[in-house]
Amino acid sequence: MKRSILRGFGLAAVAAVALAGCSSSNNSGSGGSTPTSGGSTAASSAPSSAPSSAPSSASEAAVTLTMSGWTFSTTPEFKTLADAFHAAHPNVTIQLKEYDAKNYDTQMTADLAAGKAPDIYELKNLQDFITYQSGGQLMDVSDVAASYSSGPGKLSGLDDYKVDGKYYAIPYRQDSWVLFYNKDLFAKAGVPVPDGKWTWDDFVTNAEKLTTALKAAGDKDALGTYFHSWQSVIQGFAQSQTPGASVTGDDYSYLKPYYQRALELQSKGAMLSFNTASTQKATYQAEFGKQNAAMMPMGTWYIATLLSQQASGDADKFNWGIAPIPQYDSSTFSNPVTFGDPTGMAINPAIDKSKVAAAKEFLSFVGGQDAASDLAKIGITPAYVSDQVTQTIFSAPGAPTDDLSKWTFSNHTTKPENPVSKYTQKIQSILNDEHTAIMSGSKSVDSAISDADKRVKNEALNQ
Amino acid sequence: MTTTALRSPSRSRAHKRRRLVVRNIVVGWSFLLPNFLGFAVLTLVPVVALFYLSFTDWNIFGHANWIGLANFRRLVHDDSFRIAVENTIYYTAFHVPLTLAVSLGLALLLNRKMRGVAFFRTAAFFPYVTSIVAIAVVWNMMLSPEKGPVNHLLNVIGISHPPGWSTSTTWSMPTIIIVGTWREMGYFMLLFLAGLQTIPPELHDAARVDGASAWQRFRKVTLPYLRPTTFFVTVILTIWSLKVFDLILVMTNGGPGQSTLVLSQYIYKTGFENSEFGYASAVSVALFFICIFITAIQFYVNRRRNR
Repeated sequence: MKRSILRGFGLAAVAAVALAGCSSSNNSGSGGSTPTSGGSTAASSAPSSAPSSAPSSASEAAVTLTMSGWTFSTTPEFKTLADAFHAAHPNVTIQLKEYDAKNYDTQMTADLAAGKAPDIYELKNLQDFITYQSGGQLMDVSDVAASYSSGPGKLSGLDDYKVDGKYYAIPYRQDSWVLFYNKDLFAKAGVPVPDGKWTWDDFVTNAEKLTTALKAAGDKDALGTYFHSWQSVIQGFAQSQTPGASVTGDDYSYLKPYYQRALELQSKGAMLSFNTASTQKATYQAEFGKQNAAMMPMGTWYIATLLSQQASGDADKFNWGIAPIPQYDSSTFSNPVTFGDPTGMAINPAIDKSKVAAAKEFLSFVGGQDAASDLAKIGITPAYVSDQVTQTIFSAPGAPTDDLSKWTFSNHTTKPENPVSKYTQKIQSILNDEHTAIMSGSKSVDSAISDADKRVKNEALNQ
Repeated sequence: MTTTALRSPSRSRAHKRRRLVVRNIVVGWSFLLPNFLGFAVLTLVPVVALFYLSFTDWNIFGHANWIGLANFRRLVHDDSFRIAVENTIYYTAFHVPLTLAVSLGLALLLNRKMRGVAFFRTAAFFPYVTSIVAIAVVWNMMLSPEKGPVNHLLNVIGISHPPGWSTSTTWSMPTIIIVGTWREMGYFMLLFLAGLQTIPPELHDAARVDGASAWQRFRKVTLPYLRPTTFFVTVILTIWSLKVFDLILVMTNGGPGQSTLVLSQYIYKTGFENSEFGYASAVSVALFFICIFITAIQFYVNRRRNR
């Protein structure tokens, strides 16, 4: 009784804030690590497979689990996982509930607060993990996590979900940032392709060389590189690669060399300027896919997009490859440092007790070898890393076949873009303000960094 | 005057009247009820809840702990809140008079008999019914500093360093004000047109006979008669300006830096992005009181002038 009053009150309050702030539109994602597209609002969809057949044994009663997901029309992973699990466990049926990709966390938060959330739900990014965890909305799944200690491959990103020694989610997908490059444009410019041993200074030199050479070769549109307007394109690398750098610290001077290089590329015309990219709403898919840039730092999710766009004709047909992202210095060439957030599955603690065992079974499935190869087949980078997964990804028609691309895909240290802390969300929002100020040319790097130091202290750490 | 014989019918008449009054009240209420219910459920209850939440540390999950005035103390020292208030006032201070002048000018221009007046009225109203997202995208493209047609044009007429518009911290707010004015002028033009229709033409004729110039007629006849309309437009326009949200969210998202961060957007950010619903409620309460305060001043000034 008391709970339901609180819930009702909670809902009313959400509406209140919405009305008082007269919110209506979407929050435009800036640091998002997964490509999103518009979708319908939450609506139940039919179970992805036929009703469960007879239980395999008398003790296994039929169980129906509900699971969230977003934009089913372009995000096939949820159905793939649900179908594969149902095939292996015919007594368990998984019903999918669709959410809007852009407002996923807002909608999920409201559903959880109202007690209407599905049994299993995804953590779309790490930024909101702490909100769910500290709010008591995640079931402890340490027993499932413990089962991954042995096996042929390795589950990356698992430790990001660890708080005080307990695990609260299982990663099934782990993208990381690499350097995409257009082999045809490199050949046209007569510049040797990346050899996997580049620092950021090498990257800048080559981007400028490419720009001049491509212009000389008569290609008016192509520039050396393209940096998407997200803050992570610059800050993510500075944070993950600079020794001692921290997102949740109070000294952001480590960002300076990374911004200076970006500003140099911009002023020399070796990449589309931030102002043009943001006012023209440039998309990274078009900039690289239409050969406007010879190189582009981007997450591995773009592999699947590029393959399908080249097949459909939305992108030009050209030879491309991936190389390790340029490094802070030569010491990390053998195991390049990059960043990326895992996508995880978690169990809603409000789940019916009789369903917990099946839900945990499902979680243990999504982080394992079988689910990983199913995901790799549809071009998704699973969190479970093994040679077999790499082979599956690169056997797709149109995928690069060179050794560096394969090596890049399986060899790297991926640090989280949003280290788990109650301050992360606020700090990223402050850093995004300073990112737009620097890249638009409105503020000098130094004054933006000192403002960031000050604001993080006043608005986040001391609150 | 009443005799005993007439008493009984009169009593029944009084009785009838009372029944009529009750009936009228019931009918009145039943007409009001659907609207009032909607208002109560969707506005009144949430607003009351909002006031309560502004004294708590609620983060959507778990309990809302009463923390007294802590949120408001934090507001006082919050630089981002101060910037948001300044930017909101900046926007309002320029957007209200500009929109008022432009929409009144348009209304005067289109309040005459001429060819194609319906077309021009529709054209002026069009921005108001266009999707805000489309408006923001198209304006952003037109005002793009390096590749936009506006700056090309400025270059052609000899301005070698045209403004950076939405990408410069000094020009971003003027850009928002211009686009906001362009978007809303049609709606307020319509209100002014309706107001202009109520002015009796005889007054203008009489003034003209007395030798009043066009400017004198505008000052002494048109403006005084438009007072109720102008007052209404000013109040609505001010409240809209203080609550501006969607245009900024889609056009600059508060940037570059914090140069276009306004209160509504700050509420959205603290509430829905940082999950600090208690603090976001406190900011909403502050916005609420700013709106009330400014509207009260406007009513006071209007009443004094009416005297």
